[in-house]
Amino acid sequence: MGIMRLSHVEIRVPDLELATAYYTEVLGLYETAREPERVFLKCWDEQQHHSVVLSFAPTYGLEHFGFKVTEREDLDLYQAILEAQGISVKRYVDGEWGPGHGEAIRFATPSGHQMELVYGMQQIGNLLPLTNPPPKPLGLVGIAPPRIDHLFLTVEDVKVNTEFFQNVLGFHLTEQVMGDDGFQIATWLEVSHASHDIAFITGQDGGFHHVAFWVDDWNDLRNAADVCAYHGVHIETNPTRHGATRGYCLYFFDPAGNRNEVYTGGYYIDPDAEPITWTESEMGRAIFAYDGVVNQKFLTVHT
Amino acid sequence: MGVLRLAHADIQVTDLDLATAYYTEVIGMLEVERDDTSVYLKCWDEIDHHSLRLEYAPRVGIDQFSFKVEHEDDLAELEKAVNTYGFPVERVSKGERVGQGESIRFSTPSGHTMELVADVEKVGRALPLVNPPVYVDGLLGIAPPRMDHILLNAEEIGESAKFYQDVLGFRLTEQLVDSDGHQMAVWMERSHRPHDLALVRGPNGGLHHFAYWLDDWDHVRRSADILAYNGVAVDVGPTRHGITRGNTIYFFDPLGTRNEVFTGGYRPDPDFPTITWTEDNIGRAVFYYEGEINQRFMRVHT
Repeated sequence: MGIMRLSHVEIRVPDLELATAYYTEVLGLYETAREPERVFLKCWDEQQHHSVVLSFAPTYGLEHFGFKVTEREDLDLYQAILEAQGISVKRYVDGEWGPGHGEAIRFATPSGHQMELVYGMQQIGNLLPLTNPPPKPLGLVGIAPPRIDHLFLTVEDVKVNTEFFQNVLGFHLTEQVMGDDGFQIATWLEVSHASHDIAFITGQDGGFHHVAFWVDDWNDLRNAADVCAYHGVHIETNPTRHGATRGYCLYFFDPAGNRNEVYTGGYYIDPDAEPITWTESEMGRAIFAYDGVVNQKFLTVHT
Repeated sequence: MGVLRLAHADIQVTDLDLATAYYTEVIGMLEVERDDTSVYLKCWDEIDHHSLRLEYAPRVGIDQFSFKVEHEDDLAELEKAVNTYGFPVERVSKGERVGQGESIRFSTPSGHTMELVADVEKVGRALPLVNPPVYVDGLLGIAPPRMDHILLNAEEIGESAKFYQDVLGFRLTEQLVDSDGHQMAVWMERSHRPHDLALVRGPNGGLHHFAYWLDDWDHVRRSADILAYNGVAVDVGPTRHGITRGNTIYFFDPLGTRNEVFTGGYRPDPDFPTITWTEDNIGRAVFYYEGEINQRFMRVHT
């Protein structure tokens, strides 16, 4: 019952062909549907119809993001909760928003991000049979992450947005960077027993910092860096480690300038665990544990 | 809501000092508490009081296993469900047992004693909650961050699997079926992992193994080095499972209980379709690289 995990992101791109080529051949996602102005993509191990939607637009950034709920009734429940808070909710019937999309409710978070809760997206299967499957498909192209992992957004008021996700949507705070003035600079929240499913950092409302894809281990991060370098993709941060979440990461940009991450590691967490706190003086290490210095480009560049 | 994950395994050992030395120095768990007959151990990244209890007994085996539930209210609901199924349930109050929260205890169809526990005593990780380093220095042995899953023996897999699914809300991720269509083994989850609990045909009440989580394949290789250095009897591996897709090594503690280190696998949603393995593919199902299972792996249990 309730919200399960990050389902999908809709990313704005000014060149749909170029973006599709990057997301399928460099990142290694699979195209599952195409319209004149939208391309639907999934990672190889995902059962659901899409986890990334590229939408033609004269700009870049995040158009909307969706979390998957476990039951249809969860949509009614959250619609009632949101409307009781005075938040207007738009409802989509099954398949209305796009091919295979399922039933959804759409609303704005306090930071003005368009968020969706979705139920019943069409299951088209991963690339493996359900009887005697091999552990992975052969011939995957590019980085080929098995699944989408998490989302990182910029918001003007981290505290307000964090409380909204905790109190209204039932997320659990795992880590936070506290400023010397006592305000949250950044927060990490989970709803799937992972170290984080969504995170916020102080910045512009509605901003898109990055979307992350899961890879199996540190070796796969090195392979991902090789693939990015081979294709001339702009790598922002080499394979390194986060202090917050303890995960391993590689950051790079899609051709439209949206930041992507491949991520692995981190920990498994129970919902009753107390959050970890980073102080402002240790913020560099919270973000990049090996460098330990605050990287202004990483903190300020977003789409 | 409901059952969260494996909380702890309580195993019986015939030599408490030898077992403690192995589990602290080769596996690298931390000793949390000790009394005349028992030692309580946890992995370094675990917050709860213990994930393994070693208890002195004249023979080896499993005394009971315990799953953590999210809320105390879940206990009443699950108590009712187990009662309705027709099994008596015993309540254990918070603090009645070392480190333990409020719990219920009952027998499963395969004669194992299962416990569900809420509000376990927390002792914290081996890391601070403010500006923590990314790992703990000076850990001994394999040092897995946490316990992962348990595999039990049952004579009637179908009946047991139904109990965990219908009464306790476990979801079936994979199954091995024989040529008659009967389940020979099942893998079930509650924590969006390929398995938290698995059952394989064998004598009721038996323990096949319990498993620790490792970071990655590199950690599997380092574990193999540590096992070899300490003269531990390796059963199988390092290798890969077809079922769960995980990477693995099986080995025995000095008293004969099988341990596993495990990593990888996938992340199923609750609506994930069940994967089926047929008996003619049993080798690859269990050990994907070898394509066959040794008799020791099939038959030895405690």
